[in-house]
Amino acid sequence: MIDINERFSEKKNFFNRLIFVYIFFACLFLYLIYKTFSLQVSSFTDYEIASLKNKTREVLIQPRRGIIYDRNGEIIVNNVPSYNLIINPSAINDLDSTLSDIKKIIDLSDLEIKNAQDNFSLKKKLNRELILKTNLTNEEIAKFEVRKYRYSNLFIAERYTRENMYPYLFSHSVGYVGSINEEGLQDILSSQDLKPRETIFKYSNGYLKGKTGLENIYDKQLRGFFGKRIYEVDANGRFLEEKETIDSIDGKDIYTSLDLTAQQVAYNELNNRRGAVVAVNLENGAILSYVSSPSFSVNDITNGLSQKEFNKLLNDNDKPFFDRAGQGRYSPASTIKPAIGLFGLEKDLIDWQYTIDDIGFFVLPEDGRIYRGWRKDGHGIINLQDAIIESSNTFFFSLAYQTEVNELIEYLSNFGFGKNICLDCFYPDKGLLPSPTWKMNTHNFGWFKGDTVNLGVGQGYLSATPLQLAYYSSFLANKGSLNNFSFVQNNKDVIRNNFITNNIHDVDWKKIHESMIGVIEDPKGTAGRLKNLKEYIIAAKSGTVELVSTETKEDYKIIREIEGNRDHAIIIAFGPMPNPKYAVSVVIENGESGGSVAGPVAIAVLNSLIKE
Amino acid sequence: MKKIIDSLKSGIYFDHYLFISITILSLMGLVFLYSASDGNATTVIKQSFFVIFGLILMFIVSQPDPDFYKNNSLIFLIFSIILVLLTLLVGKEVNGAKRWLDLGFFTLQSSEIIKIALPVFLAAYLYDKTLPISLLNTLITLALIIVVANFVRIQPDLGTSLVILIAGLYVLFLAGLSWRFIGVSFGIFILSLPFIWNNFLEPFQRQRILTLLDPTADPFGSGWNITQSKIAIGSGGIQGKGYQMGSQAHLDFLPETETDFIFSVIAEEFGFIGVCILLSIFFFILLRCLYLALNARDRFCRLTIGGLSLIFLSTIFINLAMVIGIIPVVGMPLPFISKGGSSLLSFYLAFGIVISMATHKKLMQK
Repeated sequence: MIDINERFSEKKNFFNRLIFVYIFFACLFLYLIYKTFSLQVSSFTDYEIASLKNKTREVLIQPRRGIIYDRNGEIIVNNVPSYNLIINPSAINDLDSTLSDIKKIIDLSDLEIKNAQDNFSLKKKLNRELILKTNLTNEEIAKFEVRKYRYSNLFIAERYTRENMYPYLFSHSVGYVGSINEEGLQDILSSQDLKPRETIFKYSNGYLKGKTGLENIYDKQLRGFFGKRIYEVDANGRFLEEKETIDSIDGKDIYTSLDLTAQQVAYNELNNRRGAVVAVNLENGAILSYVSSPSFSVNDITNGLSQKEFNKLLNDNDKPFFDRAGQGRYSPASTIKPAIGLFGLEKDLIDWQYTIDDIGFFVLPEDGRIYRGWRKDGHGIINLQDAIIESSNTFFFSLAYQTEVNELIEYLSNFGFGKNICLDCFYPDKGLLPSPTWKMNTHNFGWFKGDTVNLGVGQGYLSATPLQLAYYSSFLANKGSLNNFSFVQNNKDVIRNNFITNNIHDVDWKKIHESMIGVIEDPKGTAGRLKNLKEYIIAAKSGTVELVSTETKEDYKIIREIEGNRDHAIIIAFGPMPNPKYAVSVVIENGESGGSVAGPVAIAVLNSLIKE
Repeated sequence: MKKIIDSLKSGIYFDHYLFISITILSLMGLVFLYSASDGNATTVIKQSFFVIFGLILMFIVSQPDPDFYKNNSLIFLIFSIILVLLTLLVGKEVNGAKRWLDLGFFTLQSSEIIKIALPVFLAAYLYDKTLPISLLNTLITLALIIVVANFVRIQPDLGTSLVILIAGLYVLFLAGLSWRFIGVSFGIFILSLPFIWNNFLEPFQRQRILTLLDPTADPFGSGWNITQSKIAIGSGGIQGKGYQMGSQAHLDFLPETETDFIFSVIAEEFGFIGVCILLSIFFFILLRCLYLALNARDRFCRLTIGGLSLIFLSTIFINLAMVIGIIPVVGMPLPFISKGGSSLLSFYLAFGIVISMATHKKLMQK
């Protein structure tokens, strides 16, 4: 045992130590209280927001895409409703008995049942809808509607599919929509200050984005704005209560300048031949018809096509996906002649009285090389007007020979060659307006005088798209004053292009028009066959694009055995004269004769537009 | 009549300060638990039985003379060690941890019993040793503490084993462990920290410590609990969101709301004001214990009251520090509030002993 003194010192020792521990802990507790205070009072707002963020979940509401109309208000692309059968798994305990109940009125395939069984528990846990069956028939909808009272957890919801009413007609102009990858989605949503998250879809395909054509160019307007529905959720993301809905804003409708009838005529006239038609309204540069042939069904692309069918389209030799109207490059051939003639007049190299003796060919003085016309014996003594009507090559060879090539090229660019002349076309090609610099850079070869001579008849390196040819045609029709092309009516961004000239007067334009009228109306005209296809006067210039150079008609007969070697048929036309309202360009690959093959297509399209 | 009451009073050992404050705390606990368990009446009724039984147990335990505990402390210790060993052999396994003994009517967490038995034994062992405590006695005591704590650690129950270790060390410290020894061993402890880190901690325990250092690094993994707990506490603000209105607690963002993280629920629903009220009751109990320890009749009583009250204090501290995110998540209930019979009963038991030590005066002193 310990004695009294020791007990006293022990007590004091204990006292000190216990107090020491208590003080130690008191300090720790003060720190805890300080920490709690800083959480609850100083940082309250941050944590309140974090707590609110925890328990709310925003679900996006997909907007409805705008409708696309033709210039007369006919619907081209619409949102067609389809009906889906949907269950609410959270309110269902026994899926199998529910499914067998449903099967009494609506047939479910094995795949649909399996899909329902696979997703049921997750959707139930999260309190989400489960789509049982898509695309219900009217009969199924009717059957369900009468018995609706028996199925409290079952309902039918509307979903849209994006459908082109004329799936083959507008494939290259209006284009198509498709699903979207994660990155693309992020871009779209961040442009609307949103983050990718769960979405209530209005389309059965999910997120949509314009992939080609106007659907792509005007994607932003057509798309609209996502809405939001705010739910209270638990930690598992289960929906507990709907708090607020901010409706989506539907996309804007687009009124295009396309003309359904003209488009149908052009498509039917091309009749699946490889080629393109572009027709425009001269007054405002609005594109009325834009067809590339052969075509494909945009609805198939948007709403599902098997890989096999897709590959078949992709590997088709006729390349249906290729937009010949905006991206196909063709030599303008003889259609260039009016422009060359204008250049001759501009530079005073010729006048309307100027003649040459066309003996059937032109000899290049530098090296004696022979450039042949299409008529073996030539056209005799011939002036500019007749040279256009009869399409004398020799006249334009010799005229081109006299030009300074860089001046000529600059002049031609006024007519839209080598330029993008469309405001809202989908990746339009600029064609090729060659120049000595270009040739040196790409072919590492100097420019020959012979290249200039070839330019005079639109052969050689020069190439243009049917869209550019339509612009060129319009430019001639409008006497050098023309808006940029656009697919929509009253496009505010259009620019009027005015031809800057000192030497071309109204009388010259009239003469050009007369010459081009003569192409059809004159007995010697190259497109005389078109005369009886119309009730109006129409100006035109046909062309035949040589793909293989041949010396004689006999040689051509040999090479034309292979279809791909045959000449392309090409024509530009405008009318009705004398005050033209519409211009058109037609290219038919391997069609051989501009006047008689491409010509009727152009006339048919103009007819349909003029008659309207 | 008055005589009967007087004689009853003189025969009954009762500290109404502790009894009332603990009863209030227990009742508050039931109220909190009802919200924390999402209005689960069964849980609250079950807990109520433990509270009633616990209060009765506390009363009964406070009646015997401290000498009873002093003389039987070794038996208590051996009995509870057997329980712990038994748990290791035939215990019920939950989430990979064997901590519970299934007694049919009740699953006992045996480490909760030894948490009380060890300090009582140590007090009984050390109370008559001369000061300063000899190195031999120090080493014997330390060895015992480490062995017992280790039994619990391998269950594994790191939280409780830490409390046992701390409890043992408190008694040793209060009994007069030499300062020199403390200094030397503290130095050794610091130096051996890397060794402990590599050899004594399970990977998940290491992860918890790492998470604590930067909970945002992995908010949906191991940092989730701490992050959500902080959001719950912080979003409670000054006044709280209201009873049963805590979105963090009721929408399942907060884990273990009935046990480890019940404080977060209280803080979310009752705010800083609620936290302060709760903590003042804890402080009151602790200050009362301090007073009782200082006025206890002998060294054994002082050591026991001091040791047990410090266990209570440490448990509260570890729980709060854990949910606030100052220390790693170790699994520690909030005394008298968290769900769990064993923990609850062990503290009634502890305070029963404390009351016994404080109320029995030596006949000699009367």
